[in-house]
Amino acid sequence: MRVCLVGNQNSGKTSLFNALTGMNQKVGNWPGVTIDRKEGIVKGTDLEIIDLPGVYSLNPFTSEEKITRDFLLNEQYDVILNIIDSTSIERSLYLTTQLIDLGKRVVIALNMCDLLKKKGYHVHEDILSEVLNLPVIKVSALKNEGIDKLIKTLESMDKNQISSVKIFDDDIEKAVAELSLKISVNQRYNALKILEEDNLYLKKDHPEAEEIIQKLKNIYNKGLDEVIADERYNFIVKNKSLFFHSDRQEETISDKLDKVFLNKYAAIPIFVVIMALVYFLSVGLVGNFTTGLIESLFELIKTSLRSGLESISAWPWLISLLCDGIITGIGAVLNFIPQLIILFICISILETCGYMSRISFFLDRLFRKFGLSGKSIIPFIVGSGCSVPGIMTARTIENEKEKKVTILLTPFIPCSAKLPVITLFTTFFFGSLAWLASVSLYFLAIIIILLSAILFKKVYMKDETEHYILELPEYKKPSFRYVTRDVAEKVWSFIKRAGTIIFVCSVIVWFLTSFSWTFQYGVDIENSILASIGSILAYIFYPVIGHLSWAATVSALLGIVAKEQIVSTMAVIAGLADNASNGSLIFANSRIFSFFNGVNGYAFMVFCLFSAPCLGAISAMRKELNSKKAMFKAIAYQTLLAYVLASLINGIGTLVMLII
Amino acid sequence: MVLTDLKIHQKAVVTKVNITNALLKRRILDMGITSGVVIEIKKIAPLGDPIDISLRGYQLCLRKNELSQIECEVIK
Ligand SMILES: Nc1nc2c(ncn2[C@@H]2O[C@H](COP(=O)(O)OP(=O)(O)O)[C@@H](O)[C@H]2O)c(=O)[nH]1
Ligand SMILES: [Mg+2]
Repeated sequence: MRVCLVGNQNSGKTSLFNALTGMNQKVGNWPGVTIDRKEGIVKGTDLEIIDLPGVYSLNPFTSEEKITRDFLLNEQYDVILNIIDSTSIERSLYLTTQLIDLGKRVVIALNMCDLLKKKGYHVHEDILSEVLNLPVIKVSALKNEGIDKLIKTLESMDKNQISSVKIFDDDIEKAVAELSLKISVNQRYNALKILEEDNLYLKKDHPEAEEIIQKLKNIYNKGLDEVIADERYNFIVKNKSLFFHSDRQEETISDKLDKVFLNKYAAIPIFVVIMALVYFLSVGLVGNFTTGLIESLFELIKTSLRSGLESISAWPWLISLLCDGIITGIGAVLNFIPQLIILFICISILETCGYMSRISFFLDRLFRKFGLSGKSIIPFIVGSGCSVPGIMTARTIENEKEKKVTILLTPFIPCSAKLPVITLFTTFFFGSLAWLASVSLYFLAIIIILLSAILFKKVYMKDETEHYILELPEYKKPSFRYVTRDVAEKVWSFIKRAGTIIFVCSVIVWFLTSFSWTFQYGVDIENSILASIGSILAYIFYPVIGHLSWAATVSALLGIVAKEQIVSTMAVIAGLADNASNGSLIFANSRIFSFFNGVNGYAFMVFCLFSAPCLGAISAMRKELNSKKAMFKAIAYQTLLAYVLASLINGIGTLVMLII
Repeated sequence: MVLTDLKIHQKAVVTKVNITNALLKRRILDMGITSGVVIEIKKIAPLGDPIDISLRGYQLCLRKNELSQIECEVIK
């Protein structure tokens, strides 16, 4: 049996999907986390669950809402599982009245029941079930309550258990009945659409409707779309007192928190402090201590492996491949796992606690000046974990142009894979102020984003984005279980990348640095294949670092594979050249990178941060922009901007250093 | 009187939705801003716009531009 999960944004669809199927899909307390539909099976049953993007109604407003509407109208399924946030039941039931119109079997899952008592709400599900004439089950997706009962109800659904309730006035119900006779599929839904004079339903296909619509308009004296919406809400409000009681205090915890977080003067400083804190925690705090530990672990593995292999007189190239290539290359990125864990925890909490929507709310005005809206903030913050989901959340933006610009700008935000580069450089060159240098990069990214947005506004967005509609959810305590699972999953995928892409790349880098064009092993590194390719490209890269360095050039360029590859490449090269592959030793002990200093190091980071993102993000951009040309334009813009900006920073910075 | 005329924490009943953009009006209706609904101004963003209103047991942020096209009557 195919069951599709339909509900408002943030009602807990994905959480319920996970509770039902045991998968770990992405959850978040802001609209638009489920971007495409996901399917899964309830273990031990024949229930197939489909998680659809959140919708407020069956009149889509964004491209992702359209996915759900089209699915419901055109695809095969047996039951609609309508999930409702029981703490905002009135608005949620509006969608339910529309789902009933589809003439399918509907089951309601009243979610977030664990919160009802705390908020002083009482919901009587039996009465609601009677009013709507369909099964209603109380659940808590978070606490795993009521899930078994829900599964049983779904399994025992009767084929003919189709709900029918009288929602509208007699006049409208009569008109619907009359029109339905002339329609073949989704009769009630389509009849209502015709009455609403929806653009999709041309009147000329239904000449008989003309007269009916006119007659009704005369009765109500306003557009029928308005009348129908009014009546749906009237139906809910009329019955609400039967199944819902509230003894809620006037001021909720959310209101109290908002007095601080949305305070007129404090809101923006608090936001800056929170983002700075994220970087302080992940770059500054755990930094040196843990990295040192992991470094020495890899060093230990390397030395014991090396001596072991030497004692059995293995080929020198094999020893070098294993130690200087693979272990060094992979170790260089795995070093940063402690920092990444902290970063992922911070982002996961930000995403689930409800603060994200607030950021969007109070920065909307500012972003509007730049041709964006508060809605673009969400992709940016998600992007500080990884650009790929960031780019995908841009789908919730209604305005097409704004959506495109947001997609193009999201990769500018330093993502977690860029963290190793940032940490490596900032800890060595800025010492105890490393976190501040990292934060400065984050805010530099925001400035670049805003300036780019102005540019694009001038080029092709003459108009301001016209509207902004966002639900402000209440604050929620982040779920410990979810955060740990989410972080574990992200860290695991980072490790997997180290074992695959980074592994392969390290081997290639090792090969190209160990061999000459005549495939002679063990040549001086300056005569290696990579050095000769790199030294040509180094001229192009000269302005960025003020030095002709083939090694820095190829490292930066390989960032396109994955941003953490930059660090890995540097480690392999420094290891082979000067036996100085470990963290800070890269700069301290290796001739090849010793030219780096605070200024050109910063410029190098800027280039790596703002130039073309990794291949994963590029393909996400291609998909979401829906055009190869637009994608290439975006990459060209990003890379050119990074090049000019980094060169400027290096030039000006060097000048300033000369003067002082 | 329109919704932007209200002060913070004031409540009003919506009397008419005058939004001209059909798609936007549709969405505003779907979100529950229909005639007869009681709306309270909850928060104003630090930079003066958008405004957070509460209705039907939840909170919704809209810009002044849209709110100024929704007529209402204050309730004491
Ligand atoms: N307290 C509580 N929170 C929940 C429950 N279900 C979901 N949530 C939270 O609500 C937010 C939105 O959940 P999500 O599954 O992403 O909703 P979706 O947008 O409908 O897919 C997350 O912060 C969840 O942790 C529940 O039953 N109880
Ligand atoms: Mg979801």
